[in-house]
Amino acid sequence: MSPLAEIRDLVISYRTGSGGLRALDGTDLILTPGETVAVVGESGSGKSTLGMAIGRLLPGEAHCEGGTLSVAGTDVLNADADTLRALRRDKLGFVFQNPMSALDPTMRVGKQVARAMGGKPGQKEIEALLTRAELSEPGRVLRAFPHELSGGMAQRVVIAMAIARQPALLIADEPTASLDASIREKIMATLNRLRDETGATLVVLSHDLRLIARHSDRVAVMYGGRVVEDGAVETVLDAPAHPYTAALLSAAAGSEKPGERLDPIPGMPPSLSGRCEACAFAPRCTFAREQCRTERPEPRVIAKRRVICHFAEDALAAPGAERRA
Amino acid sequence: MSTMPVINLKDINVTFRRRLIGGDAVHAVRGVSLSIGPGETLGLVGESGSGKTTLGRVCLGLLRPTSGTMRFDGQDFGRLRQRRGQLSVVLQHPEWALNPRLRCGVSVAEPLKILGAPAAARREAVARMLDQVGLTPDFAERYPGQLSGGQRQRVAIARALITEPRFILFDEAVSALDVSVQAQVLNLIVDLQEKLGFAALFISHDMAATRYVCHRIAVMLKGEVVESAPAETFYGTPEHPYSRALMEAVA
Amino acid sequence: MRTAIYWLSRIWRSDALSAFGLASLLLLIFLGIFGPLLPLGDPTQIAAGPRLGPPTPQHPFGTDELGRSFLPRVVQGIRATFLLSAIAVLISAMIGTFLGMAAGYFGRAVDIMVARGADILFAFPALLVGLLVAAVLGPGQVSAIAVIAIATLPLLIRVVRSVTLSVAGRGFVTAAEVAGASAGRILLLHILPNVMGAVMVQLTYALSIGMIIESALSFLGLGVQPPDASLGSLLRQGSAYLTIAPWMAMSSGAVLSLAIMSVNLVGDAVRDALEPLKGRDLT
Repeated sequence: MSPLAEIRDLVISYRTGSGGLRALDGTDLILTPGETVAVVGESGSGKSTLGMAIGRLLPGEAHCEGGTLSVAGTDVLNADADTLRALRRDKLGFVFQNPMSALDPTMRVGKQVARAMGGKPGQKEIEALLTRAELSEPGRVLRAFPHELSGGMAQRVVIAMAIARQPALLIADEPTASLDASIREKIMATLNRLRDETGATLVVLSHDLRLIARHSDRVAVMYGGRVVEDGAVETVLDAPAHPYTAALLSAAAGSEKPGERLDPIPGMPPSLSGRCEACAFAPRCTFAREQCRTERPEPRVIAKRRVICHFAEDALAAPGAERRA
Repeated sequence: MSTMPVINLKDINVTFRRRLIGGDAVHAVRGVSLSIGPGETLGLVGESGSGKTTLGRVCLGLLRPTSGTMRFDGQDFGRLRQRRGQLSVVLQHPEWALNPRLRCGVSVAEPLKILGAPAAARREAVARMLDQVGLTPDFAERYPGQLSGGQRQRVAIARALITEPRFILFDEAVSALDVSVQAQVLNLIVDLQEKLGFAALFISHDMAATRYVCHRIAVMLKGEVVESAPAETFYGTPEHPYSRALMEAVA
Repeated sequence: MRTAIYWLSRIWRSDALSAFGLASLLLLIFLGIFGPLLPLGDPTQIAAGPRLGPPTPQHPFGTDELGRSFLPRVVQGIRATFLLSAIAVLISAMIGTFLGMAAGYFGRAVDIMVARGADILFAFPALLVGLLVAAVLGPGQVSAIAVIAIATLPLLIRVVRSVTLSVAGRGFVTAAEVAGASAGRILLLHILPNVMGAVMVQLTYALSIGMIIESALSFLGLGVQPPDASLGSLLRQGSAYLTIAPWMAMSSGAVLSLAIMSVNLVGDAVRDALEPLKGRDLT
């Protein structure tokens, strides 16, 4: 199947007071129609920059230093304003972390949803759309103001607006981070159901590997502005080939047995000012050797996934690397 | 003496009025009884609006319950100023945990200053506490803006521990942190409690983090505690359907 | 002092308009402070030139009906206008910060009293207050200061109150309360430093409003009394001879407009520098 979106060697930097900050340092990601991809990484890994870049929604301080990005045949980085608007309107849908800041507090929900749908939709159509996003009382919801809704309901309204024009690509940035644990699962289920119905591709950006992976087909782990491991969820979680993926899994509470200790990842994520000429994870990595500190690892395919690590074979063979999930 | 619970709540009710006079009453907490012993961590889980934070404020003496009794170390709670140095708190947002205009050392030393400790003793205690939470002494001279979220939360924990309090409330203390940093802070809480033996209430909506640090877990739903059991139970199958729903998010 | 220089240089570099505002504001303040020392002529010397004479190299702003050179009069006016508004606004800032913090932090009855009081003050037009105060205290500089302070007080109370409300809910305030800190300690150590930014921004707006009010009062004869001059009283003086000696009204009016505009431009620049990208969420 031909890819829906192709991101190749994308480099994006932010201009800051003290030189540049490189958020993406050669990111590769290919999205095929109808799949759910979890993009996982800590804050500062570049996942949000990647999500915004797909719709070219980056702030003025950001600029692209290299690479290509195409969505549904459109060269996003070089598109003119009209093409870009058409792409955002017809092909893309966005769901952000905080639903309350995504909604206009001064406008009734129904009117906002109608605007997202375009044209002049009738009450029936708006209610039908809200029902698709699994809002139980659409009639009441569309007359309400955003502050009258709970966080979960507001996020469903945002989802309804995002799918209003049948986007081919739905990008959700931490869609459940501001919601209660008991609602998170349901929101993810709704997103996946809508993906099945519309045949869209769903990209979920999150720092919570475990939660997101449960609802995804593929996982792409980001670190230091690159996708360091990319493969089917079971493949990656059962036996991570990148030491960072393995470290993320053993740091997260949830899989430990009573009395077992969590393994935190020492150190801090890097903030790059230019192209990283080594492995960005080397300073925090237990496998790191001389080569990791002097040579930039390039992507290769090992055990049915793409990975950026000089010693992925060793990480795979390391005791405890299997069956962590 | 050592078996005396630090916090003992009996049949606590908290009712808010929407307006000063008249208006609807909101029952935030209904008939909650619980106790936390020295060296014990009680986890309080539930969704937002379930009354967790309100109950936490009652335990800190920031909010008088509408009815019910609260005892601290077996005595009447009294006024907050009389309990100086015996209680402390670590809250959710790392970016607001510390006063941005004060050097971290000043923030950490503040509870001691309120107790009237001399400057030399404060300096010595700040260095010791920073070391305990895994930061170097030079953090005392830095401003919060120069710190990462995890580092700020460590400084906040150092401030909470400096008076060696009897009780600490952790209100969503790790929720805003990245997974890798969360693990560091959770381990820190467990280690420090073993060393210092304070009683703790750990409020969270994250079941996985809660059961990792807690001895017992109470599940709140609409102002009531619907299940209270040892943490090990929550690695198996808890009884209440709502607890099971929370568990599904972890498994 | 170092922070002051830092802010000035930051405004200077931010954009051309802000730099222009800063430059003209500094020039006006310089004139106001050092005007009497500059070789501009004596503002009180009668018959320094012809009566109602047009601008000449010797009297760049012309002369008034008593033959006084108008340029030193305008410089004298700048001094009075800036000084009166600045004193009044500082008084208003001190009272407003205190009341606003008390209302925001203590809430309940204190809040209701302060907030309603501010609403009532706000509801009175400044000129009406001016007439009342002038009637009680008599026209003059003291009543001008009182009127400006009363008129700008609600602006400061409201802003400080709302910022205090948000600061008081932050973790470090709760932590201090739990540690047993007194209300005074929390207000002075934790809240005051964090509302100062908002106060600074509001001060510049209050200053421009204060200058407008001062000029209006003096224009009506309720403010600065002769032989002293403020920009407002000079405008009043000039308006009487608008048809035969327009340079009087035009020069004092232009300087007044420039003063108010430069204060506002600097205020905008300060606000932009304190709250960059407000409301933007890119994490």
